[in-house]
Amino acid sequence: MNRAHASWVIYVSLAGALLVMLLPMPLEWRILRPEIAALTLFYWTLALPHRVGVATACAVGLLQDLIEGAPLGLSSPGLMLATLVLLFSYQRVRQYDVALQSFIILVLLLLSSGVEQWLRNGIDIPVIPLSGILALVLSMLCWIPVRSILRHSRRHYEVY
Amino acid sequence: MLGVLCLVMLFFFRDHPKVVSVQRGATDTVALTAGLVLAPLDAWDRLVAAFESRNALQDEVLRLEQENRVLKGQTQRLASLLSENARYKALLNSARDIDDELVVAQITSLSPDPARHVVILDKGAADGVMEGQPVLGAEGLIGQIVLVGEFNSRAVLITDSAHALPVQVNRSGLRAIAEGSGAIDRLVIRHLAATTDVRVGDLLVTSGLGGRFPHGYPVARVTNVTITPGDAFAMVNAAPSSALDRGRHVLVVARAAKQSEPANP
Repeated sequence: MNRAHASWVIYVSLAGALLVMLLPMPLEWRILRPEIAALTLFYWTLALPHRVGVATACAVGLLQDLIEGAPLGLSSPGLMLATLVLLFSYQRVRQYDVALQSFIILVLLLLSSGVEQWLRNGIDIPVIPLSGILALVLSMLCWIPVRSILRHSRRHYEVY
Repeated sequence: MLGVLCLVMLFFFRDHPKVVSVQRGATDTVALTAGLVLAPLDAWDRLVAAFESRNALQDEVLRLEQENRVLKGQTQRLASLLSENARYKALLNSARDIDDELVVAQITSLSPDPARHVVILDKGAADGVMEGQPVLGAEGLIGQIVLVGEFNSRAVLITDSAHALPVQVNRSGLRAIAEGSGAIDRLVIRHLAATTDVRVGDLLVTSGLGGRFPHGYPVARVTNVTITPGDAFAMVNAAPSSALDRGRHVLVVARAAKQSEPANP
């Protein structure tokens, strides 16, 4: 087993991605906020599946809930499921070109937010309207910059 | 395993005191972090404000002075009305209303959850804010406190689609439940018989039923009444009196006036 190196980069980038949620947005535009935290999580799962996985996904989900003031555990199961799917298929997804990868990411985001919507329904809090899919499409477009930034930082700090 | 834990927490323990206390702590931490992240933006805003032209400020002062004069005039009438009201209540052998205690708070941010209308206020338990207290805007009720940290709190707005409050038509005294619609400028009343007397322009005020909101605060004005022939219920839409997406300062009713309870004979 190799020892972890510079794993703080992972946590700093995840924290930074969560801070994006705190940036103020006009009330009607909040629905367009891209899911940067989920993208960062997916990147690290894809790049370092032995460091970042379901447990990290759970933590990120809980932090998201705390930031939103939502009932704890609302976004974790979806993120964990999507991360699990990615863990099963990371070797294949790594081989894809960026466009196809973005599409896979969109599918994963749809999966995680689908589970979240289902849970919202289950505990009777308002579900996100259908236009929320726009945010997922925007997130898909963000995959390319997020991936290249994280890849540069991973190589620069030699994270493994 | 972790997933099952999350689901169990979500479905069975989401109102557990320990979970809620973690959320309370998070309210403060999140507000503090947001303050730090946004400090440069705030500093820029202040810098711009510092260079605001003198004329604009003078105009503002003039406008506020006029508004103040008008409000003072209205308060004079209010004082006499209040004492008159107290006398009548005394005649009716009921306890005198105590004045509401108000805490001025500022909206510091919106919750990032796009499905909810939740705002974060800069006053918390240390300032006497408690869960369930009503929040007032400049022109009427805007919401209620749902989660209180030590120095910050979260308030859900009346337009949130999970929120409903008991109201009364000011003109006729008719009682109803105004539900949030999920749109920031619309409330809905669903279960009013199609034959009831509601007109466009009617003012809805809190009815005080349920004991959560004190009686008599303006809530919304009826904007349209749709009666479909054959339907048992009319569909009533109303626009909140206070513009919920404007303005930063709100009032939290920290201790509501006692609803007139019968005095001991």
